[in-house]
Amino acid sequence: MTFSTVMVNLLYGITIGSAYTLIAFGFTIIFGVMGVLNFAHGGFVMLGAYVGFTIIKLTKNFWISLFLAPLGIALLGGIVEKFLVSRFYGKDIHFTLFLTFGLSMVFSNAVLLIWGGVPQSIQLPYYFKGFINLFGIYYPKFRLFVLVFCCLLVSSLWIFLTRSRWGSVIRAGLFDIETVEAFGIDIYRVFSFLFIFCSGMAAVAGVIIGAMRSINPVMDLDFILVALSVVVIGGLGSFKGALIGSLILGLAEAFGAQAIPGFAKFTTWAIMVAVILLRPKGLFSER
Amino acid sequence: MVALRKFVEVGFLLLLVLLPLGSAHLFSDFYIVLFLRIFIFGILMLGFDLLAGYCGLTSFGHAMFFGTGAYVAAITWKYLNNSVWLGILLGLGLNTIAGYILALLCVRTRTIYFVFLTLAFSQFFYVAADSWRLIGGTDGITGIPSPTLIPGISLGHRTGLYYFSLAFLVVAYWIARRIVNSHFGRVLKGIHENEERIKFLGYNASLIIRRVFLISGLFGSVAGTLMVCFQPFVPPTYYHVSLSGSFVIMALLGGMGTLVGPLLGTAIIIFMDDLLSTWFKESWMLCLGGIYILCVLYSPEGVTGIAKHISVTGVLTKLSNGLTKGLNLTKN
Repeated sequence: MTFSTVMVNLLYGITIGSAYTLIAFGFTIIFGVMGVLNFAHGGFVMLGAYVGFTIIKLTKNFWISLFLAPLGIALLGGIVEKFLVSRFYGKDIHFTLFLTFGLSMVFSNAVLLIWGGVPQSIQLPYYFKGFINLFGIYYPKFRLFVLVFCCLLVSSLWIFLTRSRWGSVIRAGLFDIETVEAFGIDIYRVFSFLFIFCSGMAAVAGVIIGAMRSINPVMDLDFILVALSVVVIGGLGSFKGALIGSLILGLAEAFGAQAIPGFAKFTTWAIMVAVILLRPKGLFSER
Repeated sequence: MVALRKFVEVGFLLLLVLLPLGSAHLFSDFYIVLFLRIFIFGILMLGFDLLAGYCGLTSFGHAMFFGTGAYVAAITWKYLNNSVWLGILLGLGLNTIAGYILALLCVRTRTIYFVFLTLAFSQFFYVAADSWRLIGGTDGITGIPSPTLIPGISLGHRTGLYYFSLAFLVVAYWIARRIVNSHFGRVLKGIHENEERIKFLGYNASLIIRRVFLISGLFGSVAGTLMVCFQPFVPPTYYHVSLSGSFVIMALLGGMGTLVGPLLGTAIIIFMDDLLSTWFKESWMLCLGGIYILCVLYSPEGVTGIAKHISVTGVLTKLSNGLTKGLNLTKN
């Protein structure tokens, strides 16, 4: 490996990792605060990608799609929360897993019925096509955009979570939701907001990852596995864990694909096994 | 109660033994195939229930044992020797090794982390099978010869395989029943209720969980091998998470921790699978997903849970409670 391939892989790993962070944050918040294991989270990512694909096809505008698709998926998330997930608050966590597993099957089949099984690719605007010369290495323009966009989004999210009042409510919810309720906060409204917000964020990730790779009706599984592995590596209910875990996963994927083509996922599993052996609850578990 | 259960068990067994005799006249071969699939997955579900229902550790990756059993059998019969026993034994052997290692890793986690980990490992197997060209890659293994019971007697015939699988199911049920009623089985339930207390009583909870994980995996291995007898074709989707997920739903639908429940759930799901895929063609997965959701919403205890609520003893106790209440009222 030459210096420039190392740099390209490093950049690509961070790019993918930062996009994964958007998925992992939502997953870990929904689990940590609400006690819901959202297996349909990957489904929201996939639906976001497909809705974005259709909107770009209709309007020929990437930005409208990046705005409208997450909005639509957030609405869907709100409906799912209101009519299905909200019945299981405070009950055995396995039930929500089974429920959302059924939901993810419905999503996957619905996508197959509506958009067909052939992989599609999201059309990019002309200024995102081609490569850019970054200090002597050539890097795709769109990936650079994804890197910048995700970093901005993740850092603003980070500031929201650590500096704002609602951010502190969410962080307190990770520790002890009953105490939060005792402070006079309507936790069920917080739950609804969180589910809607996290679904929307998953859809943002869906549009940009879908535009980077291709989209297909079984991609939801890839993303739920990403979320699960991040959570195993980083620790459940920890934002730092979700961030670092996503970056580790992205880098492992980028370098793994370089080292053993076709077996990129194995590097991920190897890291996961190592983490489980050393720290069964993840690197940054707060509980 | 035990006598009643024995009676029902033997009755069911007789019915299943007699079923193929009527197939030529009363109904088509279709039911034989359907029941064959129920038997095969039933064996796996018995093992699954030992782990998930009795020990309380839901595995979301049980397909890994099923898939390994199937792959080992397919390779054995295709390249080595097409004796069914050799396939089963080698499948059990490899699954023992794999299950031992996986148990060592998985036992470090509990509850939802256990779900994550088993899911991740089964997906590891899926990716391996899907990308390894030597064992067929995405196409899987095809052209597997039908195995022989003893040299000269083939298991290719449906009715023969029906009885063979039924025998395995009965043996599996007997073993599972023995395990549940044994000392080991009580400790398992104890771990489910309160692991700390079990440890306090001097049991090595981690060792027991590892054992039940392995045992439950071996049931899955046999089921995988039998599946290859039935369908001479092994796709990598035998490792897929949707299969593992359907096992969980089968157990949930039937009611976990009852042994009979998961068998019932298997029968219901497989029957519905077949019905939906003929009725709805392409959208059957959507309907099945919808049924899963309804199932979790309205009967989290499963079919056996509903049965418990309306059981004879339940009605009697309610009646007697009502009576005593009524008597007390008249006294006052």
